Amino acid sequence: MTQNSITADNLVKTFTRNEKKNKKVDFNAVDGISLQVCEGEIVGILGPNGAGKTTLLRMLSKLMSPTSGMVSIRIGDKEISDEIEVKRHIGYLSNNTKLYGRLSTRELLQMLGTVYGIAQDGVRNKIEEISDTLSLAPFLDNRIEKLSTGQTQRASIARCLIHDPQVYIFDEPTLGLDILSSAAIIEFMKKERERGKTILYSTHYMEEAEYMCDRIILIHRGKIISEGTPDALKEQTGKKNLRDVFSELIIGEGMKDEH
Amino acid sequence: MNTKIIKTLVKKELLDVFRDKKTVIMMLIVPIILYPLIFIGAMMFTTAISSSMKTQDYRIVVDAQDDGAFMRRIQEAGSHKEDAGEETEDAYTLTVVDADSVSDYEEALNQETIDIYVTGRPEGDKMLYDVYYLSSVTNSQYAMNIVMKLFDEFSRTLTEEKIREAGLDVHEVLEPVSYESMDTASNEQSLGSIMGSVLPFMLIISLLMGTMYPAIDTTAGERERGTLETILTLPVTNRQLIIAKFLTVASIGILSAFLNILSMGGIAFYIFQLMDTGDSVQALEFSRFLPAILVCVLAILAFSLLISAVTMCVTAFAKSYKEANNYITPLMLVVMFTGYVGFIPNVEMTQTVAMIPVANICLLIKNMMVFKIDYTVIAVVLLSNVAYAVLAILFLSRIYDSEAVLFGDSKSSLQLFERRENLKKGGVPTVSDVLFVVALTIVLVLYAGSILQVKFGLAGVFGTQMILLFVPLAIVLYTKKDIRQTYGFQKTGIRSYLGAFLTGIGFFCINMLIAAGLASLFPDSTENVNVAFASFEKSGFAALFLVIAIAPAICEEMLFRGMIFHSMKAHYRASTAIVVVAVLFGIYHMSLVKLIPTGLLGFVFCYVVYRTGSIFPGMLMHFINNAVSVLLTYYPERIGKVFPVLTKESLSVSELLCLLAIGLILIGIGQVILHRKAQPVK
Repeated sequence: MTQNSITADNLVKTFTRNEKKNKKVDFNAVDGISLQVCEGEIVGILGPNGAGKTTLLRMLSKLMSPTSGMVSIRIGDKEISDEIEVKRHIGYLSNNTKLYGRLSTRELLQMLGTVYGIAQDGVRNKIEEISDTLSLAPFLDNRIEKLSTGQTQRASIARCLIHDPQVYIFDEPTLGLDILSSAAIIEFMKKERERGKTILYSTHYMEEAEYMCDRIILIHRGKIISEGTPDALKEQTGKKNLRDVFSELIIGEGMKDEH
Repeated sequence: MNTKIIKTLVKKELLDVFRDKKTVIMMLIVPIILYPLIFIGAMMFTTAISSSMKTQDYRIVVDAQDDGAFMRRIQEAGSHKEDAGEETEDAYTLTVVDADSVSDYEEALNQETIDIYVTGRPEGDKMLYDVYYLSSVTNSQYAMNIVMKLFDEFSRTLTEEKIREAGLDVHEVLEPVSYESMDTASNEQSLGSIMGSVLPFMLIISLLMGTMYPAIDTTAGERERGTLETILTLPVTNRQLIIAKFLTVASIGILSAFLNILSMGGIAFYIFQLMDTGDSVQALEFSRFLPAILVCVLAILAFSLLISAVTMCVTAFAKSYKEANNYITPLMLVVMFTGYVGFIPNVEMTQTVAMIPVANICLLIKNMMVFKIDYTVIAVVLLSNVAYAVLAILFLSRIYDSEAVLFGDSKSSLQLFERRENLKKGGVPTVSDVLFVVALTIVLVLYAGSILQVKFGLAGVFGTQMILLFVPLAIVLYTKKDIRQTYGFQKTGIRSYLGAFLTGIGFFCINMLIAAGLASLFPDSTENVNVAFASFEKSGFAALFLVIAIAPAICEEMLFRGMIFHSMKAHYRASTAIVVVAVLFGIYHMSLVKLIPTGLLGFVFCYVVYRTGSIFPGMLMHFINNAVSVLLTYYPERIGKVFPVLTKESLSVSELLCLLAIGLILIGIGQVILHRKAQPVK
């Protein structure tokens, strides 16, 4: 069986932190994480602040190179691990991926399309298509700096769509959005799942994750502490909702550490 | 594909930059409005001052024991002027203040109640006048000029009287011959010489200003606005990103430079029109400036590439506007300082100067403007600027680590800016450190070294070698690297030396062939080298031997085959490392003609160091190579007797073939010995 997927193999990212005066300590922000997400699957990465979620997602999207370990993508029967080639198949979105304020959404999309190597006509059609899906039409030609938060977030999603990637990696995409805007994003992700896309995303909203995710990966201190469908996790801990599961597992992990 | 990505990125950057009002204002307002305003303001100001000076009333005290002779002269001059009604030219008045009403002349002068005072006393049979004024006060200075003129006339009148008394013809005695100075410079030349000193400086400043803002905006600005992470999600390499940004900055720099020049040129043209209203003056032939303008345009293009590359090298590592500004200030100072070279008279454009960044552009434009056209120099200047720009950008795209800049948490590969306590001991320097060291030492050798050599001759050459030795050594020590590993100080057997020796001699023969070939292609430049060498001869054999043969064998080897090679080898394939060292060694010799032979030398030295695993055979080869040159300069006859080939002016084909054969055989034997040696180690 050859399913499209993204695979991480034993990823480690070591940072050097200034502990005290002139004393540097190496620590692993991500400490040996392996995972695989297949097509038609939404996987949620959950964990407290500083667990290593963002670092993990950055490495998966090849923005950051791992200290050790490998990231690869499988498309059909092709296995891709080259940095540039992997980026071609990933749509990455985080709170730090800002848009060029002085360009309009249309200009931005045109530029991106060309960089991804899509022909002029193709780009034009794609922009129309995306504009329809995300209802960008009213502000497509306005400068991005003039858009509202919700509109900007839609433009950001449009940015990830232009090259029709196989894998979406979203780092807290609904953070700070109102209910309508985040609902739009959630709807979008579900639609993409139906189209057979591979989706990995991190969030702090437990209800959202429970509602959305086929699988949840719980990480803490750079390691996977638990993994499974929301139901399986609830069963494992005997809790009723994901919020309690989360607390139970993280606190349990903390206790273990102290002993 | 590659160029398409870069083109798209450049288009995006340009759109982004031009939609920023600040940039557009900076670019347009300064040349189009500010320059003319400054110019008109300055003109109005100077006219106002000079006219007020001329209508000024100057107060003078005359205290002379000359029975009022000079006083009468002053009054005569005043009345004469009134008669002629000359108001437009010198509309000043000299008011004589009664000497008795002023108690202390000097104090009065200091308090500016008077502008000038004259004392006079008889000495022998003539009067001795002293004119006191304050050079620090403009009015007093003007008064002094007026009084001096009066004295000239006064003295002339007295002379004429004496001559008449003696019954001679005044005109014949005072003006036995008549003469006049005639400026043979064409209008174009005089305009050119004015433009030549101002234009390059203005150009350099405007290019610097023009590139500075976009350089910061596209690098630190992009990071600060948070769009860098977005652009890095694209399938774009660091190199493409840097090149796109560089092209953007360079094109904006060029555009703003042209705007500045157009504006300045317009003003200069206008001034010249104002100055030449006389009919006798022929109209300027601007077509005469065409070649100069063409070269200037090329120079602007080349220089804007360089300045954009350099500013980007500085700003690319900044994480915010503020930091970028801090980084760029020292660069600005250096560039402006070097830009002054156009104002210094008598700085000659030599082949070496033609390779000094900034200064070469200034002098080239200066020379072009007075129609001193030397095509070799033009080529050297343009090519060296482009070459530096390319090197800088390659350097930048090599060490630019988007991850480090973006997330700022990866360990800096430039360890020499880290606190020393934080560095680990041992190993060889990082490539970034080495590249930085190379850039630093090359700049030092270019500037400090050139000055040292001009000032102190041979001692200066020695000084340059010391720079090569100690600057890198200081950084190796600071970053706590392993000296033995970094420099390749390894013991090695006699076979290594023998192999190196034979290869060295063999290669010397081959290099002679190449040198002979090049000498026939570029006869002038080899002569220059010989002249420079001969000027050191006075210093004595021992000194020459030390500076030319021994010092480079140690200092240059330690830098090139030691530090650069070993750190490159730690990160790249050995073959890559050897080629890099060879190219750098060739460039370091700063001569287009010597580039190939020195590059080859670097290659062979490096190869032997690699084979033997020790730097000492390399040093031996370098020593032999240079020592032969010194011996040849010093004892051409004796050497000639033993090896006639070395001193002959030109060689016959059979001799050349012989040399080639000997060279190849020696290299062959050397290599066999080196290879035999290398195997047991493995």
